Amino acid sequence: MPHHQDDRADLTLLGYTNAMVSTISSPPDEQLVEAALAGDHGAFAELTSRHKSRVFGVAARFAQNGAELEDICQDVFIQAYFKLRQYRRDSPFEHWLLRITTHKCYDYLRKRQRIGAHVSTDSMLESGYEPAAPEPAAPHPHLERLYAALAQLSPKERLVITLLELEERSVMEIAELTGWSPANVKVRAFRARASLRKLMEKR
Amino acid sequence: MNDPKSRPDSDLDALFALARTHRPDTSAAEFAFETRLQARLRALEEAGPIWAMVSWRLIPFFAACVVALTIWHSEIVSDTHHEERMAYVQNLDYVESIGTFNL
Repeated sequence: MPHHQDDRADLTLLGYTNAMVSTISSPPDEQLVEAALAGDHGAFAELTSRHKSRVFGVAARFAQNGAELEDICQDVFIQAYFKLRQYRRDSPFEHWLLRITTHKCYDYLRKRQRIGAHVSTDSMLESGYEPAAPEPAAPHPHLERLYAALAQLSPKERLVITLLELEERSVMEIAELTGWSPANVKVRAFRARASLRKLMEKR
Repeated sequence: MNDPKSRPDSDLDALFALARTHRPDTSAAEFAFETRLQARLRALEEAGPIWAMVSWRLIPFFAACVVALTIWHSEIVSDTHHEERMAYVQNLDYVESIGTFNL
């Protein structure tokens, strides 16, 4: 895109900083989506680079380890790539991407529950397992208790309580992300909180 | 706060607040993510079009079609066999009657 480079040079001459220039001159998401649909791989790479932090941030709340985090994030962007035509421009691209992220995280929680791969951290460490990437950081002993209790919730409960309490999403936002009704979100959040309270009291 | 029933919830809220301040650091995992993703996308595209992968999911549908067709076909065949048998029996009666007549 040579004309963008020209714009960038002009803006730099006007005294804008590099960060300001990249904000002003970078094309909007919708334009990048159009370019990606036309076969521009660079445009999709730019979309990935722009939104990966947000996707990683949400997925890290659910992933058990670095490898699973990488898998979830790759699955999110692969689905986004192959279903890009289904993206309707009525909401920001990031909302659409976060909806995919939420569904993928839920799928991983369900898969983990189905396989019964509920391996305790102690047994993983005993078997010589070493996490490849940052685990949900738990520098505080109480946080370790919270994460251990969260891991024991059902996938639906864990999803709703994580989005509501840790990601600070509103009920309406969660309803939009999950596809559940707002009333359903409220009921599930209430039950999740009650379950979590019981689990915390046991410990 | 003095109500003992509210204590577990306030503890929980405090823990949530603490957890919100400790966001997992994903910067190492994010490093060169685009490159790995592009490589996987290329591999998926080279592996074949998406409909080839989707077609595997249609196997139960096609299997059900085959079973339905087999049942339908066997019913037609059995009906045809019945008609053929009836025609054969009628023909046999006719031949026997001719034989009797000739004798």
